[in-house]
Amino acid sequence: MTARKELLISAAVVVLFAFGPWLSPLLHLDVSIVSEVLVTAIAVMSVNLLLGYTGLPAFGNAAYFGLGAYGAALSVTYGHVHFIEAVLIGMVAALLGGLILGPFLLRRRGIYFGLLSIAFGQVFYFIAYRYTDVTGGEDGMQIARPYAGLPSAHVTVTDLGFYYTALVIFVIALFAFRTIVRSPFGRTLIAIRQNEPRVRYLGLNTDRFIFVALLISATMAGLSGALFGLLINFAYPLELDWHQSGYFVLSMILGGAGTVWGSLVGAFIYVIGKDIISTITQWWQIFLGALFVVCVLGFPRGILGTLQALRRRAAQQFADDDAHV
Amino acid sequence: MSDRILLEATGISKVFGGVRAVDDVSLQVREGTIHALIGPNGAGKTTFFNAISGFAFPEKGSVKFLGTDVTRMLNWRRIAMGMGRTFQTPSIFPELTVDENVRLGVNAHAKQAFRLRAPRGDAKAALDKRVDELLGFVNLTAQRDRPLSELAHGSQRLCEIAMSLSTDPVLVLLDEPMAGLAEAETERIIGVIRDLRERLGLTVLFVEHNMRVVLSLADRITVLDRGKLLAEGTPAEIAANESVRAAYLGEGVLDHV
Repeated sequence: MTARKELLISAAVVVLFAFGPWLSPLLHLDVSIVSEVLVTAIAVMSVNLLLGYTGLPAFGNAAYFGLGAYGAALSVTYGHVHFIEAVLIGMVAALLGGLILGPFLLRRRGIYFGLLSIAFGQVFYFIAYRYTDVTGGEDGMQIARPYAGLPSAHVTVTDLGFYYTALVIFVIALFAFRTIVRSPFGRTLIAIRQNEPRVRYLGLNTDRFIFVALLISATMAGLSGALFGLLINFAYPLELDWHQSGYFVLSMILGGAGTVWGSLVGAFIYVIGKDIISTITQWWQIFLGALFVVCVLGFPRGILGTLQALRRRAAQQFADDDAHV
Repeated sequence: MSDRILLEATGISKVFGGVRAVDDVSLQVREGTIHALIGPNGAGKTTFFNAISGFAFPEKGSVKFLGTDVTRMLNWRRIAMGMGRTFQTPSIFPELTVDENVRLGVNAHAKQAFRLRAPRGDAKAALDKRVDELLGFVNLTAQRDRPLSELAHGSQRLCEIAMSLSTDPVLVLLDEPMAGLAEAETERIIGVIRDLRERLGLTVLFVEHNMRVVLSLADRITVLDRGKLLAEGTPAEIAANESVRAAYLGEGVLDHV
């Protein structure tokens, strides 16, 4: 795809979301559900960086997501901070989580990396679950959505204000993500996925790359978690649970592993699908699960990944036709 | 050829499940030589190669590279010191294009691999120039934008050689660079190995099975047999060596020389 065309499509998507509050009623959706799509997409991106690009089974990213949610919730409850500070504190909490877990996770690759990630995530889950005095335990903690701080105090308190804040943050996060995966650093992560020994035989310490990828991923998940906590005005232990990590992974696979926009597509289908199906039946997980199975069987590269492969094949076809003329 | 010794392996031993795959083997590679490591199947060539390049550490013995003891040094540090290596089965990034395969090492060597933004301007031009040089050297410029998995086996080998050169090594280790290739592709690789020394002034240590190729290409040959050092010398000395002839008995390769 040419840079121009890509820019046009990206701009079109952003404009479409800018009209989200007017479009969502047409689909009988609350605007906060569309906010949730944008917020979740950031967490799915964090999984995509580790799993889709670097090939590390990031089965525990809910740990950082939950740290972000609790970081924001605790700072609002006990520190009475503004919205932006709460988000930043959530991100820092998740980054610290990554700094602590990273050195241990680095020692393993493949499925053992995934198992360790789940195990560490569950540790955080039980801390939030048991430490009732501070976190509210199983009941979670209710918070009041704080004012924005600067420049306009009231923006973030309303659902509409929150939506546009989330949209701006999402666009920034997506642009940062795109810049990173296209940088020499991002190319090296892709190379690590394909053949880590060879990357070492190019004179690079792959552990350092994986560690930095992990920190970026944790911070992104923390950003998503903090926004999610502020969106629903609530932090609860299940945000840290491995089921939550699983939903992020499934959304990534659904949207397209290793694609920039796949995370948004996956998050869209997961969040909207969950919302629509759960109003019809309380057994929504069965139907969502079936949807995942169909997608993985039908489109193993995810929706965007499959589209890209089809377009490449079409382009190849044209090139071959040219050669025969 | 100078008297400077780039690589010195002393008394290398490695055991696999009770079998001494490499038993007390020593070898010196002088600067500017094309040095071949040969031997029948199972002689321990690749095991020895892995010990030198840090793919697997030896149980006994030491490896010195550029005067530094690297026996237990991690492989990526050795590469950063100036060692390049290819593998018997090409170790490549199949889904990336030829250009990207080579560029990774160029970025690594230019200390650009950690950048979080794509390089622009002069920095990009310098990297592009180096990638162009390397692709030109192995004659893959025309295929640069194709995924490496689509290329023929011989071209993948050539790309892997360019990758091993991308980090600006002084010593290149090639593990059976001609294995499984057709006649024409073999000739192409032989030409490239000659160019490594003639045009780039590099030192080469390569493992090879084919005696005829080795005798025409190398100026120094080390022969292994069943994990032990059998002989070392110039091609003429090796061709005349009785025990080498015995080890290769029946293969008939030495009769034509």
